[in-house]
Amino acid sequence: MLTEVGAAQASATEWRGSCLKRQGEWFRQARTILMKDLKAELRTRVALCAVGVFTFASLLLLALATESLKQELVADPRGVMRPAWNAPAKMGMLWVLLCFAAFSGLSHAFVHEEETGTAFTLRLYASPEAVYAGKLLFNLLLLCGVAMVVTPIYMAITGLPIGQPIAFLVLMLSGCLGLASTATIIAALTSKARGSGALYGAVGLPTLVVFLLLLLNAAGSLYMRGAPAILHVKNIGGVLSFGVLIVAVSALLFNYVWED
Amino acid sequence: MMTAIHNKELDEAQVRPERRSGTLSGAWWKIGVGLLMTYVIVGAFFIAKGAVGFGKQGDPARIVFFHVPCAILSSIAYFVGVVYAVLCLSALRRGERSKATLHDIKSATAMELGFLFCLLATVTGSVFAGVQWGSFWNWDPRETSIVIMLLLYASYLVLRGALGEHLDRRQRLSSVYALVALVPAQYLIWAVPRLVQTMHPTTTLSDPSNTSLSYKLVLYPSFLAFTLLFVWLFQLRVRQVQLSLWQRTQKAVRQEHFAEKFKEKE
Repeated sequence: MLTEVGAAQASATEWRGSCLKRQGEWFRQARTILMKDLKAELRTRVALCAVGVFTFASLLLLALATESLKQELVADPRGVMRPAWNAPAKMGMLWVLLCFAAFSGLSHAFVHEEETGTAFTLRLYASPEAVYAGKLLFNLLLLCGVAMVVTPIYMAITGLPIGQPIAFLVLMLSGCLGLASTATIIAALTSKARGSGALYGAVGLPTLVVFLLLLLNAAGSLYMRGAPAILHVKNIGGVLSFGVLIVAVSALLFNYVWED
Repeated sequence: MMTAIHNKELDEAQVRPERRSGTLSGAWWKIGVGLLMTYVIVGAFFIAKGAVGFGKQGDPARIVFFHVPCAILSSIAYFVGVVYAVLCLSALRRGERSKATLHDIKSATAMELGFLFCLLATVTGSVFAGVQWGSFWNWDPRETSIVIMLLLYASYLVLRGALGEHLDRRQRLSSVYALVALVPAQYLIWAVPRLVQTMHPTTTLSDPSNTSLSYKLVLYPSFLAFTLLFVWLFQLRVRQVQLSLWQRTQKAVRQEHFAEKFKEKE
């Protein structure tokens, strides 16, 4: 009797141990894919150059185009004249810029695997969830890196104030999460289709319009004088929740996208 | 659209169209839809009286009989599409290929019809805005959200179109996109209307005491008529796609058959 209980306990421990090992395996696979992508990226710098050069070129265009906007005044709903090119508008434009930048280069993570025919090896090596996690982390790191370089330059060019530093930082991070997660799953979806480059933007940008609306709203409250802290929490939470939801849905469904 | 079908899918993926699809079959209810629609069109102009609180003797409010059912159907269609997408994915998981194909066709049909009704709701809404508020487009939150909805439908159809030649892949990827796009669609319904103040007369309809009897007499039948019209269009389109898929697979089977015979002769 006792030995049976002992055996059952032992097998339960073993089972739990194998689960933990499997979890560890999953984590190790995801990390390996991330490191592999980073290494390959640092070797060729294709995605980094695509996103970086695209962003700088559009930054330059934007700076030239908005030069005349600086003196422009518009009436708000209450009839008060305000500068048109105000902080929320600047923040919104920064995110439009990052959004287009993301859709210029982030599909590289999947398109590259399809082009070089390494997707099959990856399928053999790692579980779909690990591939998703690795690619998402890679895209997130890339986007955060680009945003970290671009935002100060953008601030210097347009005079975008930082507002409340912590809220600003959290907003930037949750914005990057939403953008990178959407870009990753759409890249996985479109990388197998014909003309995937054009398709990537056509499918991804409509999916992101709502997210941009949420971001603009959060940016509006970020620069509102005397806004209560709960308003920031609500609005930035809205932005963050979009990214979290997309990550959850993609992680659940990535199995179907990846098997072929 | 689809030109080549992979050979291994031929025997599994084909769906022989059934004579009847769905429980609603026969001519009687289609005649009913015709009569009901005629009643709605006549009733919109002769039964309903001009509404209070709208300009031009309340005439612009008459568009409610056509605009609101379209708008409601355009969001219901998305959910129908998502439900069939989930069914399609679960059928694929169980390995039931022909069932998955049928669910996929239904999902895509719901999306196509959703796009159509969304377009109709946008156009009728824009006409109303032009007459009532003086400009056809003024980025009211409702207008913004319906345009985004239209974009979501369009990108689903674009993705589907680009995945044309591979049946199984198209089923998986477009179903997944339908589910991913459910996230922004949810934000459109629950979050965006709360972000900005709207001019859109929403409360007018959600509180029944605001609508007079003459409006209810036309509005409720119009909901029924448009929903039944949706079901009818849905059945027709599903059957048409099934038939064309069947025809293509049959053609491919015949071609393969002839090719084999040709080889034998040689």
